[in-house]
Amino acid sequence: MFKKVLIANRGEIAVRIIRACKELGISTVAVYSDADRKSLHVLLADEAYHIGPPLPSESYLVKEKIIEVAKKSGAEAIHPGFGFLSENDSFADLCEKEGIVFIGPTAEAIKLMGDKITARKIAQQAKVPLVSGSDGAVTDVEASVVAEKIGYPVMIKASAGGGGKGMRLVRNKDDFESLLRMARSEARSAFGDDSVYVEKFVENPRHIEIQIIADSHGKVLHLFERECSIQRRHQKVIEEAPSAAISAKTRKKMGEVAVKIASAVNYRGAGTVEFIMDQKQNFYFLEMNTRIQVEHPVTEMITGLDIVKWMIKIAAGEKLPFKQNNIHMSGHALECRVYAEDPETNFIPSPGILEYVKLPSGPGIRDDSCIYSGYEVTSYYDPMLSKLIVWGETRDDAINKMLSALREYIVLGVKTNIGFLIRVMKDENFKKVNFDTGFIEKYPQLLSPTSEELDLPLIAAGLAIETMDAQNNNKSSKPNSKWKSHARKLGVSRNYML
Amino acid sequence: MEISCKKTWCLEELHAMTYSFKHKNKIYKLSFEDEGDRLVVELEGSKKPIEYKKIDDYLYSIIISGKSHSLAVLKKGKEIQIFFQGNLFNFEAVSEIEQARGGHTASGANQISAPMPSRIVKVLKEKGEQVEQGEGVIVVEAMKMESELKSPLSGTIKEIKVSEGDTVEGGEILVLLSAD
Repeated sequence: MFKKVLIANRGEIAVRIIRACKELGISTVAVYSDADRKSLHVLLADEAYHIGPPLPSESYLVKEKIIEVAKKSGAEAIHPGFGFLSENDSFADLCEKEGIVFIGPTAEAIKLMGDKITARKIAQQAKVPLVSGSDGAVTDVEASVVAEKIGYPVMIKASAGGGGKGMRLVRNKDDFESLLRMARSEARSAFGDDSVYVEKFVENPRHIEIQIIADSHGKVLHLFERECSIQRRHQKVIEEAPSAAISAKTRKKMGEVAVKIASAVNYRGAGTVEFIMDQKQNFYFLEMNTRIQVEHPVTEMITGLDIVKWMIKIAAGEKLPFKQNNIHMSGHALECRVYAEDPETNFIPSPGILEYVKLPSGPGIRDDSCIYSGYEVTSYYDPMLSKLIVWGETRDDAINKMLSALREYIVLGVKTNIGFLIRVMKDENFKKVNFDTGFIEKYPQLLSPTSEELDLPLIAAGLAIETMDAQNNNKSSKPNSKWKSHARKLGVSRNYML
Repeated sequence: MEISCKKTWCLEELHAMTYSFKHKNKIYKLSFEDEGDRLVVELEGSKKPIEYKKIDDYLYSIIISGKSHSLAVLKKGKEIQIFFQGNLFNFEAVSEIEQARGGHTASGANQISAPMPSRIVKVLKEKGEQVEQGEGVIVVEAMKMESELKSPLSGTIKEIKVSEGDTVEGGEILVLLSAD
């Protein structure tokens, strides 16, 4: 086993990996940008090294800097987390050349699956069902020809894509040109590559994915599915395992197909094969993510396996000691991603200082976060604050537990999506598994609080001034005084005395 | 008995205070009346006795007719931020003077400002052009995501203060509008 591992990431996933290393008795090395000196991963790691300015392109994405820190600190392996360098095959290559273990698949597997067009071809060869679309990247003219041929609605997707960036749904021809432009420009700024492809859009699709775990001795297993259909901006917000929308038969078939795809690229480590599924449980290969996934905890909760620890053990050469039929799932797990963003204004990020944070707790509640009172959310990175994960005996139990945990959550200082998550948990359609990836668009009323929720906040606002006045006057906790009323009569507003 | 600040001042012994808060361009009034051993709040015409404790610098525990509530409060000048049951409410304390000046007119309703530091990706409208409420006017990019800023009203574009490629600060006014 490794003695020292460098974590080439930040935020909650860096914290998650640091904890896994500590449990395995491995010493940890953090890297940080100027914006992250006070971040939790720096506080928790055994060693921490500064790697540059806040912009990812000048710090977390600079391969040479990461390698240099690994060498300087004597780390034998690098865990890339997700995002940043996690799916960068040239980084995996560089690690190997420098004699550092990259905790993940081979550079070749990353490369094959990273290019969405090659990935489609691999799936095609493995006889995995695919959605019809363009044969590779297309020019603007070709794109509209393909769209016309396969028929609207179509999806425009970035070839180098991921995380919903550079992706646009086009319902009719008139919008095609402007949405293509937006997809390209977003792809260019997110991935440095503006090539896109076009695919038929599956109506009312559900997003189902299979967790893969494979060792370097040829064993490829799956850890069942996750359902991630509740999305905004094509990015997952709520995930669960197992999916309540698929039969045992579909589950088995999907698992087998996913193992087949992973085996086709000699996969190693943790990976995820994503599918879209229609309402009749027909499923189509979407892509394979060759890294740890944000929503991995729900799979951990139902299988009892620690995926991050297994990634490290596999990278150190260990064999998976169990077989497919030894892996069982139990109960139901849900994950809510807590973001600093405003659901009422199209989920626009809301950076700022988290003046006050209180995290929920209790049996079966797991909060994978990187926040604390005083933590600053900057506009340099993804505004995800935390992943709240719960386990319940049944799906209903899990929903009720999530609701209760979300109601305990307090974040003051920036807008968050917590209220929105609460409203989804209370929603009848969500409870009845009656949803697809268009859920949020379909129920915009979930985006805003109801008007009756205003009474208590108003009372609290009033009390806040009352108590402040009481403190300022250094008197009893009685809410007012003759002095203030007199001042008021004279036209001196108390609001200016704040 | 009618509770309002002025009356209390005249008729009673200074035992009630009225506060006004602006939330999403609407003014709400509430008053607290100190009845010696208890505090009574009046809001939208209904009165209830309340009991409260400040737990720490931010957290308030409020008990109303046996129901226990926790709310977190952040004050920054006239701005008061309340976190309650997952939702964040932004209030502005409004004085009687401001109300008299017409506190109901929305300060931000005839302009579009940048919600955060961002880059202007595209300007979709021109000066003098008509817009409908909710129609996209400017596309900005922040945190690697593009979003469309929409018109808060139906009317005419009076001025566009930025052009494509500009970098703007959060709160910076980008477009001035005039209502129909």
